[in-house]
Amino acid sequence: MDRIDHLRREISLRESELAELRSQLALAESEHRLAKQAEPWAWPLSGEEYLRYSRQMIVPNFGIEAQLQLKAAKILIIGAGGLGCPAATYLAAAGPSHIGLVDGDTVEKSNLHRQFAHATSRVGQTKVSSAITFLKDLNPNVAYKAYQTNLSTSNAEEIVREWDIVLDCTDHPTSRYLISDICTLLGKRLVSASAFQKSGQMMVLNDPPGQGPCYRCVFPKPPPPESVVGCGEGGILGPVVGTMGVLQALETLKVINREAPPEKNMMLLFSGMAETPFRSIRMRGKRKDCFACGENPSLTLEGLQTSMDYVQFCGVRQPVSLLQPEERISVKDYAESIMGKGHVLLDVREKELFGLCHLAGAVNIPIGRFMNYRGEEVPHWVTDTIPGGEPIYVVCRVGNDSQIAAQKLMDMGLGKNGRFIGDIEGGLVAWKQVVDPDMPFT
Amino acid sequence: MPSKPPPGHFQILYFALASTLTGKDAEPLPAPLPLSQLFSKLEELYPRIRGQVLESSLVTVNMEYVDVPSHGEEGETVLQEGDEVAIIPPVSSG
Repeated sequence: MDRIDHLRREISLRESELAELRSQLALAESEHRLAKQAEPWAWPLSGEEYLRYSRQMIVPNFGIEAQLQLKAAKILIIGAGGLGCPAATYLAAAGPSHIGLVDGDTVEKSNLHRQFAHATSRVGQTKVSSAITFLKDLNPNVAYKAYQTNLSTSNAEEIVREWDIVLDCTDHPTSRYLISDICTLLGKRLVSASAFQKSGQMMVLNDPPGQGPCYRCVFPKPPPPESVVGCGEGGILGPVVGTMGVLQALETLKVINREAPPEKNMMLLFSGMAETPFRSIRMRGKRKDCFACGENPSLTLEGLQTSMDYVQFCGVRQPVSLLQPEERISVKDYAESIMGKGHVLLDVREKELFGLCHLAGAVNIPIGRFMNYRGEEVPHWVTDTIPGGEPIYVVCRVGNDSQIAAQKLMDMGLGKNGRFIGDIEGGLVAWKQVVDPDMPFT
Repeated sequence: MPSKPPPGHFQILYFALASTLTGKDAEPLPAPLPLSQLFSKLEELYPRIRGQVLESSLVTVNMEYVDVPSHGEEGETVLQEGDEVAIIPPVSSG
């Protein structure tokens, strides 16, 4: 394994070096061509740029003026994932002066179905260096700046300050509020987009700076932490998040090139599978009582750095602790003493996750059915799936939902006559770790 | 997502998590309904929706956003027949 890892690292290193050399060559060739010309160059862009950008420059009302404005623009993209890859790709290709990329993650295989600036050969590399390898090959005329870190209260000012416009391509409420706050404080326009499963949202915030609403004006209260599910658990379709990232790139070009600020701020809603996939809603201006940008804002640069706690503001998902110790069984004990004996194994993950992979003999009722059930009777979807009087073992991904479902089954009275109802501690993640490392998915 | 509700109803659209929790993209609900009663009406239909979704969502009426008052106030908005209401929870992933 060490040798395989070593070879992978070597190959990926060589590939970045090659990409770097190719981009240096392209630049050197273009400079060489220019130097060879005896006459001084009389045009505002290089010959190479005329070729490269001609198709966008001849679009009505884009023209050389817009290209020159873009050529002066410094664009910061926070997040080099599903949104950041398409946004950075189209923006880099269009020819700004600088692009900055901020991300502390490394490339994983599960990113590749949507994060196309990365590559199978670069799994394990940092996302920022992987994306810059791809972008340099696409357009070596842009200066790329790598920030191989996540944005935090301590580095936000230093990173964001030197840029003209910011794109929020991150994946969590904590970063969304932090980015909005620092952009409000530093007077940067913020093109914010997000995507989950089959839908997405996009809006331009703090636009014009000091006048347009910020993220807190639109969503003053963060969603409850237990409702925040990432793409790793809930899933995302590549073209859905791709659409949002491409729209973000377009919106950024519009903001850089427009002559006057918009009369109204809009939020775009995208529902990828619906009959009406695109809708726009009209946003209000700033909230007068907004914490960050209202009439008497409480937020200051110093406060952001010293006393803001975005994790606390957004809340942390608490582990569920509903069942008694004797109602819980470890994965090892389940494998050794329960499997093969008469019992019901109820898997409460979503049916798609269940369909990908489940333990032998398991039956499925997704947790949502339990959460939404308020009746007093035992519902038919329980009796249809869980027959007889055998003991019931509930399992989920990590051991939270399984406790909730087990508790609901007890509340429905299924535990009458001493029937055992309990759950498997740590869920399928623990199962994979302890019992069966070959399980392909949890 | 049919856009015209039947007579005597307004149309409510559910986005993102609101759609997951209700299992619907849209549905008609009886009009008129004071805006301040919208959340309790939805909580009746969908247990847990208030805390899990509504309180952190953006609410729009006819594609313009509104603040939902917590109780009846003078001159508050009443949802009328044919109105289109949308529940838009924040999507944060990407």
